Amino acid sequence: MKNFKRIAAVALIIVMCISAAGCSKKGGDAKEKYGSDVLKVFMPGEYIADNLIPDFEKEFGVTVIPELFDSNEMMYTKFSAGESYDILIPSDYMIERLIKEEQLQKIDKNLIPNMKNLAPEVLNAAYDSDNSYSVPYFWGTVGIVYNKNNVPLSELESKGWDIFRDSKYAGRAYFYDSERDGFMIAAKQLGYSANSSDEAEINAEYEWLLDMKKATDPVFVTDQVIDGMINGTKDLAVVYSGDAVTILAENEDMGYFTPDCGTNRWYDAMVIPANAENPKLAHEFINFVLSDDISRDNTEAVGYASPNGNILDEMVGEGGEYEGNEAYYPRKYDLDEIYHDDEKLRKTLSGLWIKVTAAH
Amino acid sequence: MKSYRKMTYPYVVWISIMIVLPMFLIMFYAFTKTGNSVVQFKFTFENFIRFFSDTIFLEVLGRSLRVAIITTVICVLLGYPAAYYIAKCSEGLKMKWVLIITFPTWINMLVRTYAWIGILQDDGVINKLLGLIGIGPVTMMYTEFAVILGMVYNFIPFMILQIYTSLTKMDYSLIEAAQDLGADRLRCFTKVTLPLSLPGVISGITLVFLPAVSSFCIPKLLGGGQYVLVGNVIESQFLTSGDWNFGSAISLIMAIIIMISLYVTKKLDKSEIQERSAT
Repeated sequence: MKNFKRIAAVALIIVMCISAAGCSKKGGDAKEKYGSDVLKVFMPGEYIADNLIPDFEKEFGVTVIPELFDSNEMMYTKFSAGESYDILIPSDYMIERLIKEEQLQKIDKNLIPNMKNLAPEVLNAAYDSDNSYSVPYFWGTVGIVYNKNNVPLSELESKGWDIFRDSKYAGRAYFYDSERDGFMIAAKQLGYSANSSDEAEINAEYEWLLDMKKATDPVFVTDQVIDGMINGTKDLAVVYSGDAVTILAENEDMGYFTPDCGTNRWYDAMVIPANAENPKLAHEFINFVLSDDISRDNTEAVGYASPNGNILDEMVGEGGEYEGNEAYYPRKYDLDEIYHDDEKLRKTLSGLWIKVTAAH
Repeated sequence: MKSYRKMTYPYVVWISIMIVLPMFLIMFYAFTKTGNSVVQFKFTFENFIRFFSDTIFLEVLGRSLRVAIITTVICVLLGYPAAYYIAKCSEGLKMKWVLIITFPTWINMLVRTYAWIGILQDDGVINKLLGLIGIGPVTMMYTEFAVILGMVYNFIPFMILQIYTSLTKMDYSLIEAAQDLGADRLRCFTKVTLPLSLPGVISGITLVFLPAVSSFCIPKLLGGGQYVLVGNVIESQFLTSGDWNFGSAISLIMAIIIMISLYVTKKLDKSEIQERSAT
């Protein structure tokens, strides 16, 4: 018995040595080809299919170090402090800022043949007009999830965002706890631009929001809105389209609506920082994410709209994962806007926002 | 003795870097504002004026103090009898009780607070039970009740342990002496046990009041984004508005309020001791 144990131990060591050697050989290949076999990705939490990174690691024989952030601002703070990453996945306005600050490097489109898969809707948006720095990852809109049994669609259509100022719905609404989205909603309803920094307009928006608080006294939440609406605790909620997809899939009483007066259309995209240590592998990663198979896995796991045109059609098409889910494929309105990077505006709004939420 | 003193040096270095220096930075930020390209910083009282001239911020401050005081009072009322009972238990039982009370603190506070969401929400555990006897659903999530409940739950172990420690340190022969002199049980408690345990109560109050008045994650999770306390305002200044100067000013105001309350409780403690030695 003792002997057997010893043999087993020796066998185990040999196996481990061989597999270790195998690994290092693989890593060696990647090192030769890309200069390094490590890829550092900095992205939002819960925003990727579980199999994506392991599949990529296996296919290319490399190690991916994912790091997660809660908000673009948090990402910016950490990234600006000198931390080096190969891929970042921030939102449109943050990409605009990073481009302005020359913190990104140009994407070599020849290295990303799968760029051809991108849907026309996600290309050439204002934050990076010819996609020379960024490749879309997910996209969507901000809209209203409503309980179809308690809120008539006709009322939403006639009132738009003003439905949150109808005291009939007092105590029956969630509002998204984000200064930019909050002021965007007020601006759109009042017919202003969501990027307006005009003082009088901002004041009018502030008044609109205070008035809304008085009328419906909504609960201000972020991700908690998903569970809340799945359980049907409230009748109205401001929700990102991707989260709405999840809610609609779980609770068939819920519908998704984007007002005609416009909303925010947003994109999260992959970019390569100027100080990336492994830009070649980063291109490989972007190309990998855009492939049809991986795009499908990713959008099915996360629920946000894919940037891949083939997959978008497949998802809402017959037998697709999101067939009949009105939140999945973002509708386009002429008045929809992308946020522009405006740090001063964001700070002004944030200073006012804490007063909106705290007002009683 | 002298050689032992050297062993405190690492700690002195530690507090200078981790506590004293940040305090100075907060003071610096609180009294300055970012200037133009020539002068980087300008000395100003603007941040303080902004806080005290805005009714919304004063309301928030009032709400924070109110919630913290209510939490502290509930912790004393619930914690004292519990501590008293535990102190009266046999040695073995005492250890078990202390273990049970400290047990929740082994788990991360955020996780424990998240758990309350599942318990309190409209289709949560409590409402399901109420539903069985035909009541409800009662909305508890995103109310002041939920916030105070969350705070009491999170901070009460500190209160119980403080009172318990001071009760066990008490010399039991004093009570026997009081009984010998004819004091009944109530008199024994009010004249001997309660005064002797007051230092524990006071340090318990400090340990509950301080985190309660500056808490920001409990109100956010259980009260919702519209339930804003001072901690949330400070958090938003640093993390979203990026207005470090205003955030520092509010932090400094809170620090001063906390220092005053510490001073007052210490005074109470001292006057209590003096009163006792005088009688």
